[in-house]
Amino acid sequence: MGILEIKDATLRFGGVVALDHVSYEVQEGEIFSLIGPNGAGKTSMLNCISGLYKPSSGSIHFKGEDITRYKPHKRASLGIARAFQNIELFPHLSVLDNLMLGRHVRMKTGLLAGGFYWGKAQREEIEHRKKVEQVIDFLEIEDIRNTPVGTLSYGLQKRVETGRALALEPEILLLDEPMAGMNSEEKEDMARYIIDIHEEMQTTIILIEHDMGVVMDLSDHIAVLDFGKLIGYGTPEEIQNNPKVIEAYLGEENAV
Amino acid sequence: MRNPFVMDCGEFHVNYKQDMAIWKISRVRMRVFILLAIFAVFPMFVSDYIIGLATLCGIAAIGAIGLNILTGFTGQISIGVGAFLGVGGYTSAILTAKVGLSFWIAMPTAGIVTAIVGGLFGLPSLRLKGLYLAIATLAAQVIILFVISRWDALTGGTAGMVLSRPELGSFVFYSERSYYYLMFVVLIITAIFTLNLFRSRVGRAFIAVRDRDVAAEVMGIDLFKYKVLAFIVSSFFVGIAGALLGHYTMVVSPELYSITVSIEYLAIILVGGLGSVFGSIYGAVFITLLPVVLRSGVEMLSGVFPDLSAVLIGMKEVVFGLVIILFLIYEPQGLAKIWKNIKDYFKLWPFSY
Repeated sequence: MGILEIKDATLRFGGVVALDHVSYEVQEGEIFSLIGPNGAGKTSMLNCISGLYKPSSGSIHFKGEDITRYKPHKRASLGIARAFQNIELFPHLSVLDNLMLGRHVRMKTGLLAGGFYWGKAQREEIEHRKKVEQVIDFLEIEDIRNTPVGTLSYGLQKRVETGRALALEPEILLLDEPMAGMNSEEKEDMARYIIDIHEEMQTTIILIEHDMGVVMDLSDHIAVLDFGKLIGYGTPEEIQNNPKVIEAYLGEENAV
Repeated sequence: MRNPFVMDCGEFHVNYKQDMAIWKISRVRMRVFILLAIFAVFPMFVSDYIIGLATLCGIAAIGAIGLNILTGFTGQISIGVGAFLGVGGYTSAILTAKVGLSFWIAMPTAGIVTAIVGGLFGLPSLRLKGLYLAIATLAAQVIILFVISRWDALTGGTAGMVLSRPELGSFVFYSERSYYYLMFVVLIITAIFTLNLFRSRVGRAFIAVRDRDVAAEVMGIDLFKYKVLAFIVSSFFVGIAGALLGHYTMVVSPELYSITVSIEYLAIILVGGLGSVFGSIYGAVFITLLPVVLRSGVEMLSGVFPDLSAVLIGMKEVVFGLVIILFLIYEPQGLAKIWKNIKDYFKLWPFSY
């Protein structure tokens, strides 16, 4: 049994079918990639997993628990963290505060305790600050920890967003095109971080990426979506030799 | 051990507690204490009139901090502040005059009652954003004022109610000076509570809701809970300000809590600085003193131009509106940002490059 099971998920927006009876499993501790042409439903799939969309039918199970109807914040507290395709950081807050927000579900301080900031609340802040500093260390963003996120470059913002998801200490990390718009050097860095996250923290990673070189190198399993349908599932070698996938990406041979 | 022959080249924090303090540098901490000391002793040297103005500024600042928690920090516009002030004032009036409770119980209760009412009117905030929410809070303003002016048996209707000054043992806070100190203590507690709030978990969640609600939700923040919570905390402080104001002016009546008051409070946090505790205080002082300064300016000139006051009598609103427009255009982040710019300039002065 996988850590995440998608069973027969269908997502409709009016007449448009964004996901069409998609089923697959993600194994614990693997890097799992979702690929497909633009508009294939990859981001919709992630939105279903993180709870921003509710599938019209079908179900999603996390560690055997049916989470189909859970709200996004509930799923975050179960350990599903996410970085967005278009950066969704809190632009006026510093890098530190953004990462501290990543630890929101792991903290307990309530309104009154926070307002008076006595003993326990302060100790908790400091304890979690230490955890956040580990993430900062890991992603090598020490020098910008006090900078407001809105003023950072695109590549750094992407890294901070990954860091915010990591600060949650997730069981599953959803990365939506973490390398989009990066140059090859930044891509290489990001790929290394993903491998490090996977190896050091044993985090299960679900990755959407268009760079096939990266996807084939990193992934344990790949699922291919096309027009909302799952057209391929398997290891990178299997996907590379799957005629349906080749057709979706390159078009039919006699079409030219 | 510090070497007395070596000059410090900066202040370094060696643990997280130091790095996470509100005022991190000892020089700044010193400055805050000196400022507090100045405000603590200045009533000894000025007239009752000026102390009274300071008290009004301080009470407005407490309410403005409350509104800023909601509008500046959490991004939920509210134009029902006037009515919430009224809820605070009337609750305290009813509890002290009709039930016979002491002010020291009535004031916190007024805060709690206002918090509940505010939370109730905050319920639509999950579905409504921006202007739509503003209209919903406008409904709060209208409904609350309607209830206050029609529920004669409880509130005395349009005639209002008379309040007494608080007592502590045999001491009555009757003089301007004593009431100033009462306000001063409440203001300090409010400011410190709010500063602490926004460096801990719940406050950060508020800011996250303002900046990117989708991301906040995915990071595990329950939008509904935190939006309503923001309404509750905010209304609590507005209620406290309402109670303080009621016992200061010793009268509450519906026309004191009209929509003009709501707009004035919005102006305070706009001019002072959205999302800034100190900005709320600067803004409260600015907006409270603006008409006073204008009036005395006109009075001074009326010796030279006797007809001036007749012409300028209607100018108060014009200047008021002009100031707000100028702030929106030239410094949308308000007085707090202007003050920060000045500090930043002198940090490197005279070698800015």
